Amino acid sequence: MRRIGYVVAAAWQGFWRNPVMSVASTLTVAVMLLLFAFFVMTDRGLQAAVGILESKVELVVYLEDDAKPTDVLELRRRIENDPAVEAVAYISKEQALERLKEIARRRPELALEDVTTNPLPNSLEVKLASAQETRRVSGMLREEVGKGVIYDLVDNPTVVDKLLTITRVLSIGGLAVLGMMLFVALFVIVNTIRIAVHARRDEIEIMKLVGATDWFVRWPFIVEGMLVGVFGAIVALAAIAAVAGPVASSLVGFLDIVPVSLGPNFIAQLAAGLIGFALLVGGAGATFSVRTHLAK
Amino acid sequence: MLIALDDVSKQYPNGTEALRDIDLRIDAGEFVFIVGSSGAGKSTLNRLLIREELPSSGSVVIDGTDVVRMKRSQVPFLRRKIGVVFQDFKLLPNKTVAENVAFALIVTDHPARAVREETERALALVNLTQRRTHFPRELSGGEQQRTAIARALVNRPRILIADEPTGNLDPVTTWEIIKLLIRVRELGTTLLISTHNAEIVNALRQRVLHLDHGAIVRDERQGRYAA
Repeated sequence: MRRIGYVVAAAWQGFWRNPVMSVASTLTVAVMLLLFAFFVMTDRGLQAAVGILESKVELVVYLEDDAKPTDVLELRRRIENDPAVEAVAYISKEQALERLKEIARRRPELALEDVTTNPLPNSLEVKLASAQETRRVSGMLREEVGKGVIYDLVDNPTVVDKLLTITRVLSIGGLAVLGMMLFVALFVIVNTIRIAVHARRDEIEIMKLVGATDWFVRWPFIVEGMLVGVFGAIVALAAIAAVAGPVASSLVGFLDIVPVSLGPNFIAQLAAGLIGFALLVGGAGATFSVRTHLAK
Repeated sequence: MLIALDDVSKQYPNGTEALRDIDLRIDAGEFVFIVGSSGAGKSTLNRLLIREELPSSGSVVIDGTDVVRMKRSQVPFLRRKIGVVFQDFKLLPNKTVAENVAFALIVTDHPARAVREETERALALVNLTQRRTHFPRELSGGEQQRTAIARALVNRPRILIADEPTGNLDPVTTWEIIKLLIRVRELGTTLLISTHNAEIVNALRQRVLHLDHGAIVRDERQGRYAA
């Protein structure tokens, strides 16, 4: 306890001995952590969006009006037996018209009063378990268009494809930016501690002379590096807390979906992750600095 | 035998031969002057004793411990047995007299109570209790050196090494410091004093080691500054 008290007190003094440098490195760490948090949240959000879109992915198979019911049943069974397919629903002409009228009630610009015949075909709505399989299943069905049962096929895999590409690009780009920021943060911390060591070289000389162990000489600096990290994490978390609400609500307004569930669980994980990461970076930078500048 | 050097030589990487074939025995409680011109090897000898340097060859044994072969992690514990005082005092300017002395105890992991008590004892020994809250810049040279001596002694070392302790002081203050060192020796601490001050050496008639070009050229029980 006594040692820990000494080390923490000395680290605290060290931090404030050169406030400009300490604050600068704290902010650098904070910016790095903000990027890191942004990257994590965006990645989560995109994955959630992909998940939502995937759950909505459907192929709609329009059927010929004069297709024989046995052929339709046979087609339905074949589709259902495909492992990538989750569910198949038969929508009759009448049900389709009901749906259209339902939509029309909410959107007055569509005038359906004049429709006397039903132009809509019978259809099969195919729900897929995974978006990656869309292309294969739709390709298989497309070959049968115009052969007596299937009249047309509607799929929309391009949105999912694009989202998957964006997620991949963001993951790689985010990692690259994060790596650069990590390097900058380490560099700044190493320098801050180097200056702290330099500022206290007389003290260190006396400590070694009177027989202080390496523990006493080194740990104040390592803890000072960790302080830089923790303060940076606090700044980053405060910034996230300040903007998280407005950003989330504007995303909801823009995309019509909540991209990330920013529940207390996720916030706690993010906070713990940021603080742990910051401690690691601060401690590692300081240790490196102490090893190179406190030799002998 | 408190200090034993056998066949010790020290060459620096630039080729300078700082010490040559030193054989030396110092018993507990001795008062030893180390004399010789600048560059004779006095400082190198002191640095070998506190293991700031390692000899190129030979052995250094202090209080039964082989200093050359000791583990790096044991060096701090060797240094707690040896107090060191310098010509330029080496006090920390932003700490008071009492804080400078207490610092040596705090960084060697002593409990708060021991820090208080031992600091007071050391300050009383060097007669600086009244000056305990002053900063080094507010002190005379003699008071600064007494503070440094208190810091060197506060860990109750067995050996006190003083490297030109009176080099920056006027004659009156010099005698004040020497009287203090005599009292320290009377309390049981072994003294090694490197000096250029012939007057003191000649007045005290203690053991004198004369170094010249890295070799011991004279070792007298009740010696004088010059042969």
